[in-house]
Amino acid sequence: MNRKGTDIQFAIIGSAGDGTIAAGDILKRAMARLGYKVIAFDIYPAEIRGFGKCISRVRITTEQAYSLKRHSDVLISLDDSYAIPHVGEVRDYGAVIYESSPVARLAEGGHITAHIKPSQLPYGVQVRGISERATASARSRNIVVLGYLAGLYGIDPKAFREIIAAKFRTKAQAVTDQNTAAFDAGFETGKAVFKLDDIVLGPPLHNKEAEKTTMMTGNGAVVRGCIDAGLDTFFGYPITPATTILERLAAELPKHGGRVLQTEDEISAIAATIGAGYAGARSATATSGPGLALMAEMLGLSVMGEVPSVVFVSQRGGPSTGLPTKTEQSDLNLAVFGGAGDAQRIVLAPTNVDGCYRTAGKAFEMAEQYQTPVVVLLDLYLSNRYETVVLPDKNPFSRNLDKQMADGGAGYMRFADSDDHISPRAIPGQEGGMHTVTGLEHNQLGKPSDLPENHEAMNAKRHLKLEAALRHPDFTICKRFGDEGPVDVGVLGWGSTFGEILEAMFAAQDEGIRCSAMKVVMLSPLPKDQIAAFMDDCGTVLLPELNYEGQLANLVSGALGRPVTKLTRSTGSPMQVEEILAEIRRLAQARAA
Amino acid sequence: MTEPLKPVYLEDKLNEVRGDGHLSYRSSSLPTWCPGCGYFSVAEGVAMAFNRLKVPSKDAVIVSGIGCASRFPFFMETYGFHTLHGRTLPVATGVKVANDKLTVVAVGGDGDAFAIGGGHIPHAARRNVDITYLVFDNGIYGLTKGQTSPTSVQGFVTPSTPYESHDRPLNPLMMLLSYGASWVGQAYAGQPHHLTDMIAGAIAHRGFSYLHILSPCVTFDKTEMTYANLNVRVRDLPADHDPTDRMAALEQATRTGTPALGLFYREDRPTLADGMADIAMRATAGIPAKGKKARG
Repeated sequence: MNRKGTDIQFAIIGSAGDGTIAAGDILKRAMARLGYKVIAFDIYPAEIRGFGKCISRVRITTEQAYSLKRHSDVLISLDDSYAIPHVGEVRDYGAVIYESSPVARLAEGGHITAHIKPSQLPYGVQVRGISERATASARSRNIVVLGYLAGLYGIDPKAFREIIAAKFRTKAQAVTDQNTAAFDAGFETGKAVFKLDDIVLGPPLHNKEAEKTTMMTGNGAVVRGCIDAGLDTFFGYPITPATTILERLAAELPKHGGRVLQTEDEISAIAATIGAGYAGARSATATSGPGLALMAEMLGLSVMGEVPSVVFVSQRGGPSTGLPTKTEQSDLNLAVFGGAGDAQRIVLAPTNVDGCYRTAGKAFEMAEQYQTPVVVLLDLYLSNRYETVVLPDKNPFSRNLDKQMADGGAGYMRFADSDDHISPRAIPGQEGGMHTVTGLEHNQLGKPSDLPENHEAMNAKRHLKLEAALRHPDFTICKRFGDEGPVDVGVLGWGSTFGEILEAMFAAQDEGIRCSAMKVVMLSPLPKDQIAAFMDDCGTVLLPELNYEGQLANLVSGALGRPVTKLTRSTGSPMQVEEILAEIRRLAQARAA
Repeated sequence: MTEPLKPVYLEDKLNEVRGDGHLSYRSSSLPTWCPGCGYFSVAEGVAMAFNRLKVPSKDAVIVSGIGCASRFPFFMETYGFHTLHGRTLPVATGVKVANDKLTVVAVGGDGDAFAIGGGHIPHAARRNVDITYLVFDNGIYGLTKGQTSPTSVQGFVTPSTPYESHDRPLNPLMMLLSYGASWVGQAYAGQPHHLTDMIAGAIAHRGFSYLHILSPCVTFDKTEMTYANLNVRVRDLPADHDPTDRMAALEQATRTGTPALGLFYREDRPTLADGMADIAMRATAGIPAKGKKARG
């Protein structure tokens, strides 16, 4: 689904240790610096060293794109054995760049040239030789191909040199010099080649927006959101793919007066988060599905004790240890329902990197205002992918939303019920507000009580107070895109998959199908009215998501009592735009027939 | 010749108790423990220690887990957090990290501490988070009606171990001493004045203080950790015990047959808050890390 203007996707493929991910990183940063919009995602094995396949895909555009493309325009092979299965993803008249002088004698079919189709343009380069001549080492092969790429397509080499210098600034100067020499050698070679493909790099954007653009990952955006929302304390335990949130905050939060502690496990991470929330701090933790499973009991305490807490959950493949480095959207049930008893909490799921920033900040507002745990569901594809975003000039997040104790003393009721069902809160250190928060059912004073009418009333209080979150200011709980009014096919979606859904919907519209899509950002409490109104307009409703059971489809059809058509995939990879498009076509045709 | 005993008049005694101020730390909720439970001494001891140290009620936070001991916060006129089974220390750590000015006391029983919560103790100790941990050890699960606990004697016959328990009891004092707790002591509910002194010492210590309190369960343990047995077994630490000598403390801790009461060990070292203040200073001033780099 190509955009107007420039729209080029690069795929760099190699083995762990080839510097594949590093090369992709330099490429996307250089392109962002030049003013292109970037969306990029890396795939790598669970093992740090060894023989796993690494892929770095970078899509650059001048118009906004919402996902990667199925077909790459340029493939760069750093290891033919891994790249050969991906030659088919290069489009017709696209380019394949590869090592032309393998060091070993290869078996028949072992070289990528045997697999390049007649419609694709081959560029054989003596990558190893160039690296060795320029740097007396073969280690800079990944940088040589970047130079070649820049030379071949006429990309300004200055941006690359700056990014290389920045990337290696903590190392010895010789490392920067060596890599710059490798880049320059590759650049000269690429410049001298007669270009045969039809890939054209148009001029980048040069407007005010481009100047304010930054590139970050979903996890990076979460960190920015946390800092802008005034996060006070963060407790975390390393787990892929959420670890970078802990690492970034450990480096950044102390600069902003916050405190970070790596705890002994996920239970302590959420326990300390809730302890800090009880003491009045804006507090958070981050984990993945297995960690969230451990935290489920504590989320119940946060619900019962009406203590604010925020949990960022970057989902990966499950169940159990599952697929630690593959993406999936299968922790929705756990996030929405996990724990003992009727323990409703707020669950939010941003759909892109910009949304990660906004949702992270708003999560703290909601946790504080509604005195509840807030789970923010990310996934590996969203956590790790890079996008160029424009952050707001003014900090968009509110502080001091806590409904505070007005008059303390003997009559103070920590859990007093009222019209909005939110009770005035006293925090330790405040005179006259002494009370005990408990996981036991309690009365409005906070004293344990198992009286039947009390349990009924307190359950109602804890659920009803969350309805206000559906009207939380300046926050999009769900949003419709595409055609207005009645449509043949409506697509519901959540999380990172919504990018592919949007691309598929635009493509379907181009084909003349009346189609619209709705993203659901707030998964609990579910915006039933808005979803029902959307479904009223749709001939059929499709719900693509990356899990086996169709977890949001089950949630929506259960809550609204209406059927939706599931499109589920649990392959560990993002859904393909073409898969969704094919399903939209099929449903549209079925309606027409 | 001892002094002849003077008569004690109830009214005088009540006035004395009312007058010294410690009752203001007790809440209007009366303890729900069984009559004779050792925990009454602890509640009184904590109230008197707070009063002695002049800890403002509004700045005291008592964090507990689940069990008979963990009902404690409800009976105190301070801030309280009755959390989940075994999770006392991480919640208390969160409270302290959020607000270093608070006096945080974590309380729990032997099951809460050493069975379900055992994994958290070494980390609170090695971080030296400035909180006090009071473990009320009655060697049994009282709230669930008398099952064996990690500190129960070997061979204990209870409803969950009807053919006797073959598990050896843990030695909490040796564990805490080797975990790196910076203040380790033991007290006995049957000696309330000493208990009060020890609680006050633990709260006054800057760093992670651990007080092990031997406290009989009068309802479910009629044979082992009873007042009758403990009264004859407990002894004071030797007068020449050096509380800065960790090996001497460990040696004393091995003598479980005759539990010693007193301060086993103490050291002064930077707390978790000190470490975080150092990190904040380095982060804001851009001073590079001084430690051992994992990646060379």
